[in-house]
Amino acid sequence: MDSAAVSQALSQTNFTALDWGIVSVYLLISVVIGLKVKKYATSMSSYVTAGRSLGTCLGIATMTGTELGLITVMYSAQKGFTGGFAAFHIATVAGVVTFVIGFTGFIVYRLREMEVLTIPEFYERRFGRKTRIVGGVMLAFGGILNMGLFLKVGSMFIVGITGMPQHGPALPAVMITLLSLVLIYTVLGGMLSVVLTDYIQFVVLSFGLLLTSAIAILKLGWSNIFETVEKVMGQPGFDPTVEGAGFGVEYMVWMALMGLVSCAIWPTAVARALAAESPETVKKQYMWSSLSFLIRFLIPYFWGICALVYFKTQAPDLNELFLGEGEKLNNLYAMPVFLGRILPAGLIGVISAAMIAAFMSTHDSYLLCWSSVITQDIVAPLMGDKMTAKGRIKLTRVLIVVIGIYILYWGLVYEGSEDIWDYMAVTGAVYFTGAVALLVGGLYWKGASSTGAMLALIAGCSAVLGLTPVQRCLRDFIPGSVSSMEVTEIGKAHIVVKGGNFKPDDLVGGKLHIVSGDDWQEVEIVSNAPNRIGLKPWGSKFTPKEGDLFSYYKGVPGTRIGLLTVAFTMIIFVVGSLAVPDRFPPVSSELDAPRHGKGVGAESVAETSEAEEEGSDA
Amino acid sequence: MSFWIFLWKAVFIVGVGLFAVMALWVSIGGAKDVKKMLAKMEIDAKDEEAE
Repeated sequence: MDSAAVSQALSQTNFTALDWGIVSVYLLISVVIGLKVKKYATSMSSYVTAGRSLGTCLGIATMTGTELGLITVMYSAQKGFTGGFAAFHIATVAGVVTFVIGFTGFIVYRLREMEVLTIPEFYERRFGRKTRIVGGVMLAFGGILNMGLFLKVGSMFIVGITGMPQHGPALPAVMITLLSLVLIYTVLGGMLSVVLTDYIQFVVLSFGLLLTSAIAILKLGWSNIFETVEKVMGQPGFDPTVEGAGFGVEYMVWMALMGLVSCAIWPTAVARALAAESPETVKKQYMWSSLSFLIRFLIPYFWGICALVYFKTQAPDLNELFLGEGEKLNNLYAMPVFLGRILPAGLIGVISAAMIAAFMSTHDSYLLCWSSVITQDIVAPLMGDKMTAKGRIKLTRVLIVVIGIYILYWGLVYEGSEDIWDYMAVTGAVYFTGAVALLVGGLYWKGASSTGAMLALIAGCSAVLGLTPVQRCLRDFIPGSVSSMEVTEIGKAHIVVKGGNFKPDDLVGGKLHIVSGDDWQEVEIVSNAPNRIGLKPWGSKFTPKEGDLFSYYKGVPGTRIGLLTVAFTMIIFVVGSLAVPDRFPPVSSELDAPRHGKGVGAESVAETSEAEEEGSDA
Repeated sequence: MSFWIFLWKAVFIVGVGLFAVMALWVSIGGAKDVKKMLAKMEIDAKDEEAE
């Protein structure tokens, strides 16, 4: 790829000094809020749940602020760019599922009624302290791993929209700057500053989303958008069930489950339910937020689709870079580069500020969530609840910084590209597969036992099998794989295998794994005859030579592994509960009654008596 | 395919339209909630100081 042509194409953005000014003012306001509200963060309850004083509107705003992160905008735009309108089914399912949760109060209503601070705290009330600690470890592990790429991908948006060079120090510098700002106001103000910045983000982002979509439609033409997608993608660009769309029924079922998880199981979303004024507020909040859960995917998909249409119809230079033959640009940059071209100066600054707000409000909530889980659900119970309120807040603040440093490190060393959504789904599944069983079983099934819960949490770890690096390590064990192939001819985009007897095109979609000395690379298979395998061009690492070892495998989709893990975990949970019931199951009135006094919260979280401990952890 | 095109057009128009209404309502109502929340936090902080 001609780097001069890339720089030339990407630097044609409308981002000016005025836009930098707008972004800077916004960032300053966020930090000032963190400093201003510090005085209110005196107890763990006020620090973690803002004193449980969120009204419906503020609840909706903060939930939207958290769940509509820049990472979501980026990977959704990427999905729209590659999947077309067919990707809209994900947004529709997410909105419908959230509305049903709000209408029925499924899971969230009862959790709020119990007045728990975190999900692991519910584990303790229902299953005992050991379950809380193990659940907290799983939650923190899956959650922190899950947010590992947020910083990098979010910073890629800034780099793309401002026209900064993709390579060199720009990306790390943006990452460090944004992270520093988030850490300052999250550490200082806790949930209160998170809620306030979420509110500002909601206002700026909502109107920014609507305005940008309107400009994109005006620029490209409503009918032209649909006609171009039809011409470029055909039916797979609209119908998610058809072959070639890259989705299918299995994927749609997985998305329905993800819809449930993201609003009713994922701790950052549930944290908003737990911070609501009352259980009734939670239901209203969810019903209204279903629109946000729809929009957070729908509009970014639309922007990704518009980027595709723009490249195809109005920007041949970008079409060549993103969709041409040979090595292509990372399509995560497609949407920000598109916005950089179509939005006028001034407005582009507002949209960038809104996106940075989306970035920051997701980071602050996630940092606060995982650090408070480690403090409340792992460290404090292990210390026998001798930690004071001040000690807990101090530890939570230290952990926020530690996790921040981790995501900076992970973003710099991990080479995530087109698999970001899969990466997030799989790492999230480490936590949520067990959590689905424990929450649904614990809240609605009297027979659920602590043994079943413990087994389900451990079984949830099998979701890591969906990660590409894990499958790569275990490739020889995947059914249908072939190892140590003897190769008689190596071409630019094919190999000939000695004595091969493959069915024509049976290997398509699989990967060829090549090891040369200490180095390795993987190339996608595009066609095959009985002894000839057609490939995408070799990567830039090295060109294989005779004597290198080749093996073939077709990875199991993360979707399938995720669904199988959920089913497996559920079965383990039920069998474990039936086989080893608790000797002294908790009385339902004990579960329903709030454990804490008003506004006290976590200081008295773990008042679990020895008797209860013995009973539940049978 | 015309069914899918119609469906996605409808989902987009209805979804974005409703979101626009909600955004306006939440922006106004949220400001009132912020005021209420800060007042409550102020009282809580004073109570804790008194204790």
